[in-house]
Amino acid sequence: MFGFRQRPPGGRSLMRATRALFIRHRAEGTPESRSLRLLREWLSPAQREQFARKGYFEVVGSDSGKRYRIHAGASLNVCEIDERGRLQGGWCFMPIGVLPIGDVMLAQKIMLETCEGQVRAVARRFTPNGFHLRQTRPLG
Amino acid sequence: MAIQIVMDRTGDSRHPFNPDHAKELAKAEQRFYELTKAGFTAAVRTGPSQTSQIRSFDPTAEETLFFPRVVGG
Repeated sequence: MFGFRQRPPGGRSLMRATRALFIRHRAEGTPESRSLRLLREWLSPAQREQFARKGYFEVVGSDSGKRYRIHAGASLNVCEIDERGRLQGGWCFMPIGVLPIGDVMLAQKIMLETCEGQVRAVARRFTPNGFHLRQTRPLG
Repeated sequence: MAIQIVMDRTGDSRHPFNPDHAKELAKAEQRFYELTKAGFTAAVRTGPSQTSQIRSFDPTAEETLFFPRVVGG
């Protein structure tokens, strides 16, 4: 009498599934998710696994053989590490323009792996701390 | 099919082309030099864990990635 309609059996779960699918589709179409997908495609298997597990991945500099850790972030997110994995110093550099986070990290990875010297020449040094490198959510 | 991927604010723009098709190949070559002249870096994957930068158009590259010039933060 109030105009309520009875849902068909399983209607609620179907609605939930449809909503979840819709949300997932929208999330996968965002610039950030597209850039992270591209990043994962270009990471080595070991880097991909490390990024998924720890939220960062490591690269080896093309000129010095030094190791760098690239944390999720678009600035103040690259640190040189020693052989024991301890943070040595930060290197702040990024591609110009507005790019989503995965693109920035991929550009940083490629630059360190292919022309480390050029990166070190332009990068700004910083002292890393937990605030710079905090991970607010898993991205890998 | 080969592809050129250009990073941008949407994540990336993708430009597939058939390297066996002369007109498409010429267009891809033109795009390569326009982007690198504008300061973009071009990179290709040379193995499962290796990347390298290229400074001239490689018609055999299956996937070329372009990203803007890197600067200090």
